[in-house]
Amino acid sequence: MRLEPKSLRISPAEKAVDFHLSGDWVLHLSSQNVVDACRRFFANQESSNLVGKFYFSSSQKWDSSLLVFLLDMETKLNAKDMRADFSELPEKIQNLISFAKNRKAGQKPKLPSMSRQWDFWLFNLSNKFSQWSTFWGKWLLALGNFLIGRSFMRLSDLLSICRDCGASALPIVTLIAFLTGLTMAFVGSVQLEKFNATIYVADLVSLAMVREMGALMVAIVMAGRTGASYAAELGSMKIREEIDSLRTFGIPAMEFLVLPRTLALFIMTPILTLYADVIGILGGLTVGTQVMDFSTLHYFEQTQSALTNMWEVYSGLIKSLAFGLIIGLVGCYKGMFTGNNSASLGKSVTSSVVVSITLIVVCDAIFEIAFSYLGYR
Amino acid sequence: MNQINENSIIVEANGLELGYNKEVILQNISFQVNPGSCLVIMGTSGCGKSTLLKSMTGLLKPHRGNVKFRNGELWGKAHLPNQDVLANFGVLFQGGALWSSMNLLENISLSLEAFSSMDKAEIENLASYKLSLVGLSGCEYLYPSELSGGMQKRAGLARALSMDPSILFLDEPSAGLDPINSRQLDELIIELKESLGLTFVVVTHELDSIFSIADDAIFLDAQAKSILAQGNPIALKSFPEHPEVRDFLTRSNGPPKMDNY
Repeated sequence: MRLEPKSLRISPAEKAVDFHLSGDWVLHLSSQNVVDACRRFFANQESSNLVGKFYFSSSQKWDSSLLVFLLDMETKLNAKDMRADFSELPEKIQNLISFAKNRKAGQKPKLPSMSRQWDFWLFNLSNKFSQWSTFWGKWLLALGNFLIGRSFMRLSDLLSICRDCGASALPIVTLIAFLTGLTMAFVGSVQLEKFNATIYVADLVSLAMVREMGALMVAIVMAGRTGASYAAELGSMKIREEIDSLRTFGIPAMEFLVLPRTLALFIMTPILTLYADVIGILGGLTVGTQVMDFSTLHYFEQTQSALTNMWEVYSGLIKSLAFGLIIGLVGCYKGMFTGNNSASLGKSVTSSVVVSITLIVVCDAIFEIAFSYLGYR
Repeated sequence: MNQINENSIIVEANGLELGYNKEVILQNISFQVNPGSCLVIMGTSGCGKSTLLKSMTGLLKPHRGNVKFRNGELWGKAHLPNQDVLANFGVLFQGGALWSSMNLLENISLSLEAFSSMDKAEIENLASYKLSLVGLSGCEYLYPSELSGGMQKRAGLARALSMDPSILFLDEPSAGLDPINSRQLDELIIELKESLGLTFVVVTHELDSIFSIADDAIFLDAQAKSILAQGNPIALKSFPEHPEVRDFLTRSNGPPKMDNY
């Protein structure tokens, strides 16, 4: 069926202004001419106590666009001290207008002022600090309970989490560590070739892997893989009230959920780091033997001479212990303090990865500075 | 309201003021629950029903007031609730809140393993018995994700019963259930109340449930931030003092009639 375009005829009378609405008032028809007519009318209209009377035939088509127009006109007329009279409109439209008036839309929230935003930010900061210190304190208490054998932590949970974050991570750790060793060997060989000292690629790769890259690469993989999964797992448990239900039974979530996860990472990260060190050296060996034509024995002898001081290996492992703890604690903290909706779960997971990696890099720098000052480098 | 015998009060809320951070959601909340009865906490959405339940189950410390169980107080000076009092409570959460990584047997056994001296076989037998009480025999090794909504609620009820509590707190037990499952759950509550002599505190706004399970009810109002009416729901419906309570219990005062639309 063909629709007639909307139109509005405004006829000023002695004590009233008549608004004749013709055509079909449906959403998909343009109302530009109507808007222009209204703008012209209100621009020329002085404040008065006239009545605006609206006319619309019941044979015309209409939908909510008509209602919105009428309510808008009433507001604009009121602003000019005029009154809108809908009594000539079909009864259905009158009913809907009174229905809409009974349900006024809520006021649009204003943006909070800058000072209030600062207040909120500061309040949030102190809140976060208190949350973090409570979490840290409870974790230490849970660890204390575990050490004196009074923990709710189950050994089976610890073993199962160790398997998930340790053995199951072997393929990705292998790939990353091998490629890291390989890349370092390639990059190093280009520079060392200038000094005719390419055999020192073995020293470069082995020292870089055991001191730095092994622990760092494993920590980054663990933060993205395991830390994020802790945040997601605990966060969804929080949303589904599973953590609350543990508390109602008097089972501390810190001992039952957080402690096994953090301990598992604390145990497994150094083991994975040691494994990554070996794989990284094998990556360097691949370049050394396949590209630079060293014999395997020669390469290993050079690696052995570089690693005569075992402190090089231990320093990497000490770092990895700290990294494991950071990843576990940050992942669990973010999960435990997730909000009650799925959007906050996403934020928690993202934030756990970002915060973990940032803290790992900061912690690594602190370790290096400390080792240098203490004369261990 | 039912006549309360002062000597037979199992749970009592005394002048509770509840809220999150500095915001007050409920204030001056005082009521008592008789043993073996079912008290329903009702009210419109957002009036603080679940907040009140959280405070009664040790999950949210009130700003003021306390919850008394027999002669012990749930909230002491410390931030944490009194575990001895909490041991008498069982809680069914709105979504069941079953631990998704464990099967039903493990869900029920966990608290028994932690707090009882029974051996594994005894615990498993007891867990199976609790499941049979709620009509879930044979589902011991199913995981929560393998259950329907109604079954999850019943499993949650079985878990809440695991430590033989004196009082069960149920948060909207029939939410999200179809009318048949909802009625079956109501029948289960009545059966458990009569056969085991359990006391129930139920948060719900399902009228059918309220009239079928409640011995006593309190009506919370979001604007007054307090209890607006207290008593047997049928009596409240017949002789309402407040229009809000009448409207709630008779499902009236909807939008203006739209017959012409």
